[in-house]
Parts: sequence; structure tokens; C-alpha cells
Amino acid sequence: MKFDHILIRYGELTLKTKNRMMFVYALRDRMRKALKGFDVDVKANRDRAYIEINDEDPHQVIDKLMNISGILSTSPVVKIEKSDEAMKETVMKFAENIKAGETFKIEVKRADKNYHLDTFGVQQLLGGHVMSNTEHMTVDVKNPDYKIMVEVRQDAIYMYYESIKGLGGLPLGTGGKALLMLSGGIDSPVAGIDVMKRGVEIEAIHFHSPPYTSPQATDKVKKLVDIMSDRTGFDIKLHIVPFTELQTTIYDKVPDNLSMTSTRRIMLRIAEQLAKNIGGEAIVNGENLGQVASQTLTSMYAINEVTSMPVLRPLLTLEKNDIVKMARKMGTYETSILPFEDCCTIFKPNAPKTKPNLESVKKFESGVDFDSMIEKAIENIKIYTPNHKVEAEDDFSDLL
Amino acid sequence: MIYFDNAATTKPFKEALETFNTTSEKYFYNTASIHQAGKNAAKLLEAARKQILDLMYLPDYDLVFTSSATESNNIAILSTLRHKKQFGKTILTSELEHPSIVNVLAEMKDEGFIVKYIKTTSVGKIDLEDFKEKLDSDVIFVTTMSLNNIIGSVQPIEQMVKILEDYPKAHFHVDATQGIGKTDIDYKGVDTISISAHKFNGVKGAGGLFVKTLSNLHPVFYGGGHEYNVRSGTVNLPGITAMTKALRLTLEEARSVNIRLNDFNGQIRDAVKDLKSIKVQPKDAPYIVNMSFVGAKGEVVVNALSKRGILVSTTSACASRLAELNETLLALKNPDDVIEGSIRISMGHYTTQDDVDALVTALKSVYEELGDVLK
Repeated sequence: MKFDHILIRYGELTLKTKNRMMFVYALRDRMRKALKGFDVDVKANRDRAYIEINDEDPHQVIDKLMNISGILSTSPVVKIEKSDEAMKETVMKFAENIKAGETFKIEVKRADKNYHLDTFGVQQLLGGHVMSNTEHMTVDVKNPDYKIMVEVRQDAIYMYYESIKGLGGLPLGTGGKALLMLSGGIDSPVAGIDVMKRGVEIEAIHFHSPPYTSPQATDKVKKLVDIMSDRTGFDIKLHIVPFTELQTTIYDKVPDNLSMTSTRRIMLRIAEQLAKNIGGEAIVNGENLGQVASQTLTSMYAINEVTSMPVLRPLLTLEKNDIVKMARKMGTYETSILPFEDCCTIFKPNAPKTKPNLESVKKFESGVDFDSMIEKAIENIKIYTPNHKVEAEDDFSDLL
Repeated sequence: MIYFDNAATTKPFKEALETFNTTSEKYFYNTASIHQAGKNAAKLLEAARKQILDLMYLPDYDLVFTSSATESNNIAILSTLRHKKQFGKTILTSELEHPSIVNVLAEMKDEGFIVKYIKTTSVGKIDLEDFKEKLDSDVIFVTTMSLNNIIGSVQPIEQMVKILEDYPKAHFHVDATQGIGKTDIDYKGVDTISISAHKFNGVKGAGGLFVKTLSNLHPVFYGGGHEYNVRSGTVNLPGITAMTKALRLTLEEARSVNIRLNDFNGQIRDAVKDLKSIKVQPKDAPYIVNMSFVGAKGEVVVNALSKRGILVSTTSACASRLAELNETLLALKNPDDVIEGSIRISMGHYTTQDDVDALVTALKSVYEELGDVLK
């Protein structure tokens, strides 16, 4: 059985009436980007899209589409001309894959109401044809081992076995823009993709403190952005903020057990400012209630105090195991666990407060002119745009 | 000189030596250094580790690189036994083991462990019925080689794994040193597995220990914490990459090599079958023929062949200077004179038809020369 197309069904997009084609084209472009390197042709219609796959493996193509929001499901299909004969010929090829003793059912959708056979007619034609030309097959309409799906549409007839669930959600661009705080750990990439699923475009912010943090730590975050962009088909812009001066100042001026709270507050202030600059309406982070000292309710209260912008925490109540699973599925996990020190781990105090007192934090901060340092940090932001080619692993194949 | 002692060691593949050289030149850095060059070397190390695990079909295992199978065996035994002492005292092993197992177990006896030997069948395999009988809740360690180095008998590792499923307390160690490329054993389920590069055309000084559950393994000597803190000491990256290359080539060509060696094995057995003072041990893995010139001393036969340009060994190079009778041949209930007169002919990747022809001629000529003493 050789499939020639992938059928793409849209998600909640079908609820949108206005600007629908704009979303459709945006989705099409992201699929094209995600499928760069494959010999495929993506065509998007108003109600569904078809990808002509030539000689590519349909499941490899589908795998690339699994993290694109707005796709409800996909199916490898065979496209055939609209005639009874063509249907009969193709249905036999599907039947050949079904083993003796397994049951089947033919399910028909007839979108083209003008086709000369109605739904029941197509079912009878194909079911009868299979039964009289094979000896091993049994029909079971309730619990078949195989469903052979036939869709009669205006342009052609499509036949397939399976529908593979996609990410669902809304297509990107329908939900505004947010800024993702990307530390390099396991959680934040997952949080970012989760928000993107609701149609929100994201840019990312990362803090580095050279020479305390190594270039590898920054490279790691760039690679995460590459992977996320690759998986979502959307170029995530990364803003890299020089944080050394602020970090060492906090280290000097704020007592050890409150320095973590202050650091987070300053980071959030910078994130808020940058979010406004890029036209964002929210900040996203990978915080998970109670996971570490800065993620207790009391800490969140003290840290969040610096901004009135919504801070989205999509992983707030998830189990760590589930987050790890999601990261593995997205392909960011292996990069996230690379052991490079980020600014949070290097300046980590010995005993950070799990219940920091907001008033005392404010008191210590008031003695320092953080505003001008923050302004300077934002001015010196470096921007990285993903090149979409996930950095190839070093090639040792000759050597080994 | 024609080499028939591949069970002792093998000639490195040219490609493995190239890898050794390139690694020594371009990646001489310490894999534990945190500068970029050290990190690249570490990446190469991890790529090698992954490739070996994939090649062995053990993707979920860990692999600790060591200097040799002897070291791997020592780590597996010492590390496990010290931490299992409280759960039991009995160790089961075969009668066919290599000195790097036998001698460590002898030490362990002094520490209060009880070593029991599983019986051997007439063709040199572990007797599974006897194995089942000897297993009980006091057994904490079972160890065997996957392929015997004296006669080449392949051990029923997969069946042993199955049987041991009912004894989760028992750690199963397999010394696979001779087995690589010679037999198609599935090692999945075995707790620890030793290999050594120079037995499959890698270089000397590189070995490995596959580990199912890394946290069960503890260092037996101490240092800078390399190799998961199990085996400290600067990592021998050139030896390891050369071993990786050699393993790939060995396994890629194993099928065709074994078909050829199987044919040679038959030719050698055929050539001596009418010589009545020669007794040949049962055949299993194709690369080994063990035969005895009954009445002569094995050492005399080795020297006589050596004079004719043919290099074979008496029992095993690792033990051939010990005067005692070989334990494998004893376990097979051979009479003393058969054991004393035995030589091991072991072929390898580079063995040719011409080599086999020369060997056959030399065997016959030595047989004539020794005619008087043979029984």
C-alpha cells in the first residue's frame, strides 16, 4: 500500500469565520517550514489541507507536524479519481493488508452530494467487491479490526485507514504575543509550546552572566529555540540579556537568603519591559508550584509584585514526570539536561527563603539604583534568530 | 609465521588503528576537562558509548569503559559481592571459567562466600538442570562466560536469564570476552557483561563492562570519578574509539567470517580424523579446534608447530604457564593424557585457506615426527 497524500484536518480554526483564510495560510506556511528538506507539496484549502508526499515516508512527514498547533488530526491517504472502478481497484489494495481472521468495515463520507452513488451505495459497492474477491475477510460493523475510510469529495475520492491525533488548539497568530522566560531547563520550553498551542506567538528571553556562565550555556538555549522553532514551524526570536552587572550587584547588596527573590524580581522587570517593547501582552514561564524555593506561593507573591502584566504559568500544577514526558516528546529534553551552569545555579544561595518577606526585599532593593542598570541591560540585548537547522550532532561516523 | 592463536589475542584492524591514531592526534584531550576541547573529546566518548550499546542491542544499558575484561570481571564481582553480603553467601559459577573469574572467586571464599560449581554437559555446556537444582534463596551471584575459551562451547545465556527471573536477588554476570562476533547471544537481562577490545581486532588496553542498573555498581578503587565514578582514571579515548570501530567491523562481517571459519573448522577436523592418536574436542563456535596428541605434551606439539611457522597454543595463554591440568578439559571428563596433550587452534578474521592448508600439512608432519611417543 503506497499512500500519496497526507490529509490535514484543522482544529478549532473551523470556529473562526472572519480572517479564516489568513489563518489557513499561516498554518500552511508553518507546515511548509516544518517540512523543509522533505520532497512534499503542501496545499491548503478552506476546510482542510493536503500534502502530496511523493516518495517520502508518510509517518515521518506526520511526525514533523505533531507540534504544530491548529492541526486536529492527520491521515495518510490514497487519492483516486472519482469513479466506481477506481474505488474498487484501490479498496482491494487496502484489503490485501488485512490478515485472515481480522474483521473490517467500510465507512463512507460523501461530501459531494452529486456523486451518483449515495453513502450506502458506496458502502455496498465496495464491501461487496471485497467480500466476493477475497476469502479471508469478515465484516464487523460494530468492532472491526480495520476501518477502510472512503471520502467522496468534490475534487477526488480519498481512501485511508487511520486518523492520527495532532496537537489541536488554535493556529498561531490568533492569540496575540507573549514573552517566554527561557532558562535552559526542562520546564520552560514545554511551557512555551503549551502557550503556543493556544495560538499565542512567542519570543523568548534568556539571561546570561559571562564569565560566570559559559558560552555553552547560551548555546544550549539557542539550540532549544532552534528545536522549538523546528517543531512548531515558527521562528522563535531569542533575546539574550547581559545580566552580570545586575547579578553581582544583587549579590553584594542583598542578603544571601533574599538574593534569589531579588534576582527574580529584576528579571521579571526586564521581561516586562521587553514584552512591552515587542508588543507582547503577557509573560510565560515554566514555574511549577512548589518545585523550588522561588516557586512557592509566597515567593511568587513577592516576585510577581513588580509587574501588573499577566504572568502565564501553564505548568503550574503538573507533575514533574509529566513535564519530563512532554519535553521528551518535543525533543527538548536531551538538550535541557546538558550540564552547563546558568546564572541561577551559579549564584544560588545556600538557603534561599521559601517564604521571602516582600517588605524586607523592597527595603534592600531601594538602596540601589537598579533602574539605570535595567535600562542598560535592555539596551545591550543581543537577538538570536533560529536558523531552523537544528545543529547537527558532531559527525564521528568516520572515526567510529 | 601463520597465526592460529586468535583466542589469545587478535591482530588489530587497520581501520581501528587509523581511528586510534586520529583520536590520539585530534582528541588527545582529557574527557573530564571543561574547556571546549575536553568537551569535544567527551562528546566523542559518549558517541562511542552509544554506538557500542546499539551494536550490542543493549540500548537501555550503561557501559563503563575499563582497561580489560579482567578489570571488568573484577569490578563486577567485587563491587556486587561487597554490597550483597547481607542477602546471602552463595555464588554459582561454571567449571569452565577464566582465571580472572576463578582467582577472584577464590579470594571471595576467604571473605566467607560459598562458591558452588554448576555441572558441565559432555559438550562443554552448563547443565541447566543442575543449575536449577543449585539455585536457592542464598544465591546472590551467578557468573559464567558466554563462550568458553578452551573449546569454544557457547553457553545457554538466554535460558539462564529466564531461569534467573525467579531469583531477583541473584546478580548475573557474563564474561563475554570470547563471545563477541563468534555467536549471536542476546544478552538482554544479564546484569553485567564484560568485553575486551583486543579479542575482536581492537587494540590492547580497552575493555568494557555493560551494566543493567548502574546504581548497583560501586567503585572498587578510588579517584577522580571518571566513568560514572565506577572506574576512575583518565579515560583511554583512543583505545575506546578503536574498540568501537573494531566492534562495528567485527559485527558487520561476523556472518561471512563465521561461514568461512566453519568451513575451515571442518577441514581441520577432517584432516586429523584418521590419525588415531589425535583426539578432537566437540565443536561449537567455529573459530576454535581443540585437539590432543595423546601421549605427547601439548607444549611439545606447540613448539614443533612453531618450528614449522605455525602459532597455536596449549590451553589458554592466560593460564598456560600454570602447570595444573586445564579445568575446562577436566570438566569434560577427559583422561589426563588427553588434557596434557591438548593444543588449541583458534582462527580469526585474517585466517585464509592457505593458512589452513599449511596448518594441516604441519599437523600431519608433527604427528609423524612424534610417532614414537604417541599412544
